[in-house]
Amino acid sequence: MHPILRNFFLVLTALAFAGCGKKDGTDTKPLVMFCAAGMKKPVTAIAKQYEEEYGIPVEIQFGGSGTLLAKLDIGKGDIYLAGDSSYTDLAKEKGHVAETMGVAYMRAGFAVAKGNPKGIAALADVKRSDLKIAIGNPGAASVGKFTKKILSKHGLWDGFEPTVTFPTVNEIANTVKLGTVDAGIIWDAVASQYSDLDFVNVPEFEAEKKDITVGVLTDSKQPTEALKFCRYLTAKDKGLMVFAADGYEPVETADMWAKTPEVALFSGAMLRPAIEKSIEKFEAREGVKINPTYNGCGILVSQMKAGETPDAYFSCDQSFMTMVEERFSKPTTVSANEMVMLVKKGNPESVLTLPDLKKDGLKIGFSHPKKSALGALTQRLLESEGLYKEIMDTGNVVPASATGDFLVNQIRSNALDVVIVYRSNAMANTGSTADVDIIEINRPKSIAVQPFAIGQGSAHPNLVRRFYETFVSEAGKAEFLKYGFRWELAEEN
Amino acid sequence: MVRIENLTVRAGEFEITDVNFEIPEGKYGVLMGKTGCGKTTILEAVCGLKNVTGGKIFVSDRDVTNELPGRRGIGFVPQDGSLFTTKTVRKHLAFSPKVRGWKSDAIAKRVDELAAELGLTDLLDRKPHGLSGGERQRVALGRALAVKPAVLCLDEPLSALDEDTHAEMVELLKRVTAENGITVLHITHSRREAELVGDLQFRIEDGRVIGV
Amino acid sequence: MSKSDKPFLAAISSLAAIYLLLIVLMLVADAIYGFRAVPFSSDDPDKASLVKIFTDKAVINSIKLTLFSCTVSAILSLIVAVPTGYLLSRYNFPGKLLVDAILDIPIVLPPLVVGLSLLLLFNKMPPGGTSFEDMLNSLGIEITFNVAAVIIAQFSVACAFSVRTMRNTFDQISPRTEQVAQTLGCSRARAFFSVVIPESWRGISTAGTLAWTRSMGEFGPILVFAGTIPNKTEVLSSTVFLEITTGSLETAVIVSLMMVTIAVVVLVGVRMWDRKNEGGLYHG
Repeated sequence: MHPILRNFFLVLTALAFAGCGKKDGTDTKPLVMFCAAGMKKPVTAIAKQYEEEYGIPVEIQFGGSGTLLAKLDIGKGDIYLAGDSSYTDLAKEKGHVAETMGVAYMRAGFAVAKGNPKGIAALADVKRSDLKIAIGNPGAASVGKFTKKILSKHGLWDGFEPTVTFPTVNEIANTVKLGTVDAGIIWDAVASQYSDLDFVNVPEFEAEKKDITVGVLTDSKQPTEALKFCRYLTAKDKGLMVFAADGYEPVETADMWAKTPEVALFSGAMLRPAIEKSIEKFEAREGVKINPTYNGCGILVSQMKAGETPDAYFSCDQSFMTMVEERFSKPTTVSANEMVMLVKKGNPESVLTLPDLKKDGLKIGFSHPKKSALGALTQRLLESEGLYKEIMDTGNVVPASATGDFLVNQIRSNALDVVIVYRSNAMANTGSTADVDIIEINRPKSIAVQPFAIGQGSAHPNLVRRFYETFVSEAGKAEFLKYGFRWELAEEN
Repeated sequence: MVRIENLTVRAGEFEITDVNFEIPEGKYGVLMGKTGCGKTTILEAVCGLKNVTGGKIFVSDRDVTNELPGRRGIGFVPQDGSLFTTKTVRKHLAFSPKVRGWKSDAIAKRVDELAAELGLTDLLDRKPHGLSGGERQRVALGRALAVKPAVLCLDEPLSALDEDTHAEMVELLKRVTAENGITVLHITHSRREAELVGDLQFRIEDGRVIGV
Repeated sequence: MSKSDKPFLAAISSLAAIYLLLIVLMLVADAIYGFRAVPFSSDDPDKASLVKIFTDKAVINSIKLTLFSCTVSAILSLIVAVPTGYLLSRYNFPGKLLVDAILDIPIVLPPLVVGLSLLLLFNKMPPGGTSFEDMLNSLGIEITFNVAAVIIAQFSVACAFSVRTMRNTFDQISPRTEQVAQTLGCSRARAFFSVVIPESWRGISTAGTLAWTRSMGEFGPILVFAGTIPNKTEVLSSTVFLEITTGSLETAVIVSLMMVTIAVVVLVGVRMWDRKNEGGLYHG
């Protein structure tokens, strides 16, 4: 064959071998992370630490937050860490980001040459005619947008002519460093990377913090691993320590690190069917363990008073949350459950209203007023109707059981004629609705509302918050509705 | 031998029609005409480097009108030689045999033979750069004659040469072609040159070829 | 030289000198800035030093990848540009003007757009479901965010320059030489390989070095299509970009000077090799 042709084929073959051989031999697929270039130092360090501890490599692509945003669309990444949360929010709006976790805060301020030779001290100094000032482009850089917002708020934006604007915060810092301007308005976290620059805080900027959040991508092929790394990145005792060392102010509510964290959840027994699926889903996606304790709220409250400290409490009723409210952060009312009467199919005893409970010969089942919210609420309901003492005096009420589920079983097995339970107890089993009839009560005090709260001393507050978000999502809400709960949580705007 | 019958060739805007002439075997034919009148076009057509729109071309009584340039038994020496600037003289002479698959000892023998015949033996390892006009012509000639074609086509081979080299070249051409019984089609614009070399002369006038 | 010719020479030399001076002064500015700020070695973990920069694993891998990818990209560019330039030079066909224009597009497109377009092409096309990237992945080939993407990104732009160069080269070589080769028994293909390519070695050399240096300087498409993943798809040009964005201007400048040195070594080397082979790449 002609020599030139022969040489070409040799080269081609060599190329083919060389190019193809560049694949990983390992089984562990690396995580792909898109990270704002400004955070290269801490993030590289954290990723390295993580790989050393757990053997999972994190491939980081650095770039401008905006450029990286464009790459989220193609579905090849796992994690997105933008230079500030406005980008992460944008990504979430577009549906690219699933879960987010707070990392750190930033404040804006003036970066100046070492020693602050021009004596910049106040926000109003932007109007000084002897100063050359650089800011971020308000249309392109979030620090620019923020600068404009604060300056406008204090009446300094009109008539302000910056010497130059840049599309990224690092370029602003660079230009101050090179001395082409006297000051640049940048984030303090960025400024701390420049050891030869000083940073001047002013109260107007200090008053508003900006946050940095990391997001797990919806298209990630390894969401559990991605979530795990993000937890590591935002863990008080792991990633956040590295960020703090680099001059960032970490978020206050941070989780402690654990490879497979365990969350202790106290939940009213009646909520079990509504949240079981959500628990399963959450455990699978995050790779964590949720250990629920389902019981009558009275029992749960006693346990807490005896020293138990669950990470979260989902109470059957507000009253039982109030009893332990100092142990928890501000509760949110999620759902409402109506109390109803259950009678045998066909209602042979003709129990149609609460007063009918006084009828002779009825075998009535109530939940224990001390051990469960249901019991306490039943008592409260009947007392408000002026019926409680009379009904109790008839002797029809059999010794109370702890939970509504038990009562449902008793009525299904014909051991009782009528019980008062939550609607959700009745709907928990498809079997039960076939054996019994539901008689509505519809009295003012026949509704229980269920609040949820995160424990004050919990080591995993953010994890619990994400779990909360799972069961209040559309899919989670559907579960509640399926079991007869009413939805009380206002729609997020 | 070479015979052209009713040949029509187009070259851009320009067309030559109904060309008819014949050069018997072993004879030296010269085609004259003013510059730009189409003689190069006819030569290219004969060599197979231009598509004919009508007529036939015969070489050694074989119809080669639709044959590839390399299959016509024709050697071609273009106007400025068009030597391969990166190859040695030896490689020039060996080119055609090598392409046509001759064995290396046969090639080596033929190269020496040709070099001797054309006075190129001392130049065998030189490249075209630095050779004189006459030397280059001889190399081009040797390259064309390497596989002993039946017909040799020459495009103004003497135009660029000085007086002395001119005479040498004329003598060389006549001798080599006569010794090897090669039919020659030589085109030129010079009548004097035509009379010096040619057994037969043709002329192009008004787009037609007439014998002289 | 006659008197009247001296002013002419002076004039053209001055113009050349001005541009040369600009280039050299840029490099001098870089060198002074960089070497003044970066000591040879340093014990301070936060401070950069020459030793640290050049022993950094990421930088070493970046150098290796740059050399590899630029070379492959240049070779691929030549493999495409030589026949394409020949086609454009020797043949006429309907739509040739359009083809010409299309071949110039990579030169005109902003580099980031080239990268974005490649990203979209591989990951979002064909529309609806399986993308080209997915198809290739199922065969075990990974492109996006891998070394292959670096090469494709570089090739996409560099080849356009090579095609132009080769087209000009072939335009300047008379078709007669190929025609002679044909009469001597070559097919067009054989004439191309045996005669045309050796004749155009200078043009090929230029087209190749142009592609190589262009590949080295390009980083926009690589940033978007291949990601600048340290130890995986980071090349020197993206190293410089990253260092600038993190404020390490001095390191960026030092790495740039290294790039310039490598490029100059390669360019001079190729020129010297050309001169040695004066009269032929392949000895006849």
